Amino acid sequence: MSSSRLTAKDLTLAYEDRTVVDGLDLEIPDGQVTVIVGPNACGKSTLLRALGRLLKPRRGVVLLDGAELAHVSRKQIARTVGVLPQSPTPPGGITVADLVARGRQPHQTWWRQWSEEDERATTEALERTETADLAERPVDELSGGQRQRAWIAMALAQDTDLLLLDEPTTYLDIAHQVEVLDLIRQLNHERGRTVVAVLHDLNQAARYADHLVAMKAGRVIAQGPPRDVVTAELVQEVFGLASVVVPDPVTGGPLVVPGMAWQPEPDDDRTR
Amino acid sequence: MSGRPPGHVLLRLGRGSFLVHRRALVVVVALAVLLVAVVVASLCVGESFVSPVEVCRVLLGRPSPDRLVVGTLRLPRLVVGLLAGAAFGVAGALIQTVARNPLASPDVIGVTHGAGAATVAAMSFGVVSHNALPYLSVGGGLAATLLVYVFAWRRGLHASRFVLVGIGISVALGSLTQLFLTKGDYLVAQQAKVWLTGSLNGRGYDQAAPLALVLLLALPAALWAGRAQRSVTFDDDTATALGVRLDQVRLGLAALGVVLASVATGAAGPIDFVALVAPQIARRLTRTIQIPLLSSALTGALVVVVADLLARRLFAPIELPVGVLTAVVGAPYLMWLIVRTRSRSGGTTS
Repeated sequence: MSSSRLTAKDLTLAYEDRTVVDGLDLEIPDGQVTVIVGPNACGKSTLLRALGRLLKPRRGVVLLDGAELAHVSRKQIARTVGVLPQSPTPPGGITVADLVARGRQPHQTWWRQWSEEDERATTEALERTETADLAERPVDELSGGQRQRAWIAMALAQDTDLLLLDEPTTYLDIAHQVEVLDLIRQLNHERGRTVVAVLHDLNQAARYADHLVAMKAGRVIAQGPPRDVVTAELVQEVFGLASVVVPDPVTGGPLVVPGMAWQPEPDDDRTR
Repeated sequence: MSGRPPGHVLLRLGRGSFLVHRRALVVVVALAVLLVAVVVASLCVGESFVSPVEVCRVLLGRPSPDRLVVGTLRLPRLVVGLLAGAAFGVAGALIQTVARNPLASPDVIGVTHGAGAATVAAMSFGVVSHNALPYLSVGGGLAATLLVYVFAWRRGLHASRFVLVGIGISVALGSLTQLFLTKGDYLVAQQAKVWLTGSLNGRGYDQAAPLALVLLLALPAALWAGRAQRSVTFDDDTATALGVRLDQVRLGLAALGVVLASVATGAAGPIDFVALVAPQIARRLTRTIQIPLLSSALTGALVVVVADLLARRLFAPIELPVGVLTAVVGAPYLMWLIVRTRSRSGGTTS
């Protein structure tokens, strides 16, 4: 594995007195798309929040460029790591252009409220996400796919080397899911940005990840390239689901096909 | 195409750059002009009418036969009203921003009730001189908010819990105030009652001075606050991801608001609803995402001065406390706000 700017060591995360992640070690490979998968409540979103310093570890550390996140100022972190939370709430009535411009916040001070760099990054973010046409529209009035693109544009305007996305495709129909994932892939490819995303769909994760991390009950069960990681045994172990893994007819990568759907017994005469 | 936030004008000064909301600027200028007009009108009207020309002469320091009436009798009281209104307006704007709730205001979260309880206690038991009352009121306001803060804090500050605890403490302090009123001397209780409604009667430069000082000191803080306001309009995770130290920013904004509201209460009594209404009017005028601070200050001043003018003249020669008038207008507004907020299925973003 190559170098890693963002790493977790012996990380224990808890809400109140409920431990969600326990003694986890993880290295996020630079310049790659890392996707974290796992069943509901396995701690994947919690882990992402800790990697972005939205949650203080109960024990252990997250290191960014070798420095403990707890000892780096929030503003400094925000210039290097962008986080898009699972269901962000926009300020009421805000327009897309205004929302995206606010991604520049960590680069601004009250006496430098708008620099050339702010202008460049915001314009570019709007263009790359194809939200420039929506710029004047209020975020509340957008469709789910448009809204998600606006949020991604804001995270892009923040212009960070690392980008953490918590289920960026939730609530989107399949076309918009693919659109968002393609955008993420493209950003990673063109800028060498390191991306970490939590995804629900195992097949999408297998298709879009360079590095796949499978979690269960607050621990990493397996990680590596999807080809090596995604097997019927792993799906059984992590999700408790019987499945067949076949080659993806499009990419040749692994494709998880769940086992037979529920059917009535053959001798059950109530169904015909 | 430009990436600049829409509706803003960019000002460059050396290495500095400032974004100014175009519509907010227009509103500020318009409100300022209107305020000057209302101030002059208010100085003209009274038991005797003074012409606007003479009022302006007095204001500009020129010799005038009406100097006594305008300069000595009417102006000091007006100045208290202006400053208190402005302070209430900004206080309301800050507290509504932090609470992310248009229902929040110093009236609701315990500030004015704390100030009231402390002042009435002092009046009823006659423990301090009259001049010390404003300071006592500030202390009471701060103490009450601290209490709310302590009870509402649980691994961070949550807006709805803050408001709920604030309402609870306000009610408790209100009862305490009633208790002090019944324990104290009958005549003092009458005075205290008038003070509790919020009145500008008999207020002058003694009350205006500390208020002016605090407003002056708060100006640089407000510059910071105007910027910090932006960050607390997001949800907590998004704001934190943008590099905001959320708890500190909220504490700073709330503290500034509480100090302003307490000092204003000390000077003019708890003039009800000004802090609640002024920021919402101002925001509807400027149509900004954040509640505009400067426009809220001007709106607050305008509301108090107009209300006091009406309170003085409506039933002349009987003079009403200005708080009665703001309550008559403010209470229906509060009810409308509650009904509207509820019908929008709990949407509480201001």
